[in-house]
Amino acid sequence: MDLEALWLTLRLAIGTTAILLVIALPLAWWIASGRGAGRALVQAVVALPLVLPPTVLGFYLLVMLGPLSAPGRLLIRVVGHPLAFSFAGLLVGSVIYSLPFAVQPLVAGFSAVERGYVEAAEGLGASPWRTFRSVVLPLTHASLLTSAVLTFTHTVGEFGVVLMLGGNIPGATQTLSISLYDKVQEFNYAAANRTALVLVAVSLAALLVIYSRRSATARGELV
Amino acid sequence: MDVAFTLREPWTVLFGPSGSGKTTALRVIAGFVRPDAGRIASRFSEGEFVMTDTSKGIFLKPHERLVRTAGQGAALFPHLSVRRNVAFGAQAQTNGSSEAAIVDEAIERFRLQTLTEKVPSMLSGGERQRVAIARAATAAASAGSGCVLLLDEPFTGQDAPLRDELIEELRKWLVPMLTPILSVTHDVGEAFQLGAEVIKMADGRIVQQGPAADVLAADRARLLEQLRTGAESRA
Repeated sequence: MDLEALWLTLRLAIGTTAILLVIALPLAWWIASGRGAGRALVQAVVALPLVLPPTVLGFYLLVMLGPLSAPGRLLIRVVGHPLAFSFAGLLVGSVIYSLPFAVQPLVAGFSAVERGYVEAAEGLGASPWRTFRSVVLPLTHASLLTSAVLTFTHTVGEFGVVLMLGGNIPGATQTLSISLYDKVQEFNYAAANRTALVLVAVSLAALLVIYSRRSATARGELV
Repeated sequence: MDVAFTLREPWTVLFGPSGSGKTTALRVIAGFVRPDAGRIASRFSEGEFVMTDTSKGIFLKPHERLVRTAGQGAALFPHLSVRRNVAFGAQAQTNGSSEAAIVDEAIERFRLQTLTEKVPSMLSGGERQRVAIARAATAAASAGSGCVLLLDEPFTGQDAPLRDELIEELRKWLVPMLTPILSVTHDVGEAFQLGAEVIKMADGRIVQQGPAADVLAADRARLLEQLRTGAESRA
């Protein structure tokens, strides 16, 4: 069992999940609230990583984060080094690649909240932020959990984007899925099997967390 | 829809059949619907607080208005207990200690003592409506003098004795605070019982405004005739 790859994978998954929840919550609320121009375009852009081959996304991220592009040069100036083939680069790539897994469960959850509750809160003098924090979020904690778990597990299982953007640098960018690939290439099936079982266990645990939790979301009839 | 009226009395009723525009008028005042043209303002001795003025591009969001609303359905927050539902409206306006005092007063006035720790799913329809009224009244009381309380068919599901109590408590609590009440009903008996000024609506327009005895005289006579005819047919 490659503990170094496991630790790096967990750091990447936790970091990606934390960053994405901060980004995804307001974005999903904006999409679900039905106001604002360009919703369809934003939804399409958010969903793009779902349909793009991971290697394509990884390639374009590699170019975008590198010194050949203006954003890449700006990032290098800010961070001090190229993001490609670094953990920071993996983080950026994972955030983009897992964006739909974070946003879409939240959009579904927010959309299911009866408009009547939002209006009731606003009619009692609650600001949009208070309404979101005190009414919408508590009613959608199941969607929040699904978003976090899917983002985490999707990051754990990434391969194409991580390989393109991070290479295969042990201790720096070699995640569990890449380590598994290496072991198969080396015909070390016993080690590959152990690594694969860890990945299966993470995925199964995530699904158990989602399915075993009863939703307290008030769906359907307004009470 | 084309309406224009002034709230002159402590309690005003918007009366009319379904589809006459009563709820729409309430939602426009509350800020949930933007009118094509119109002006909504609260007038004080010191001046005016304008909430909508389409000629000047003014349209305050619902939470920014001097208006607190209880809609047609109770819409109690299902994850909060009765006490915390009632307290929700107070929290936006008051500090901790005065919030608790107002909430305690509301719970006592609206006979919610045995329900405080229950969640809405445990309540009957009438109980939910009672909590919704208490919640909106608490929010209006917390917002201070001049805040208008909008109630859309608030006594649906209440038996007559309880409705009488709720009306009395609302009147005793909010009228001295100079908190006007504007409620919607299509019930002739309820409109008379409130002793309020009545604005009668039909097809999105105001047809008459004045005391209930004047505005609803024909409706009252019709109701009494129906009751008399019904009693005779059963005799």
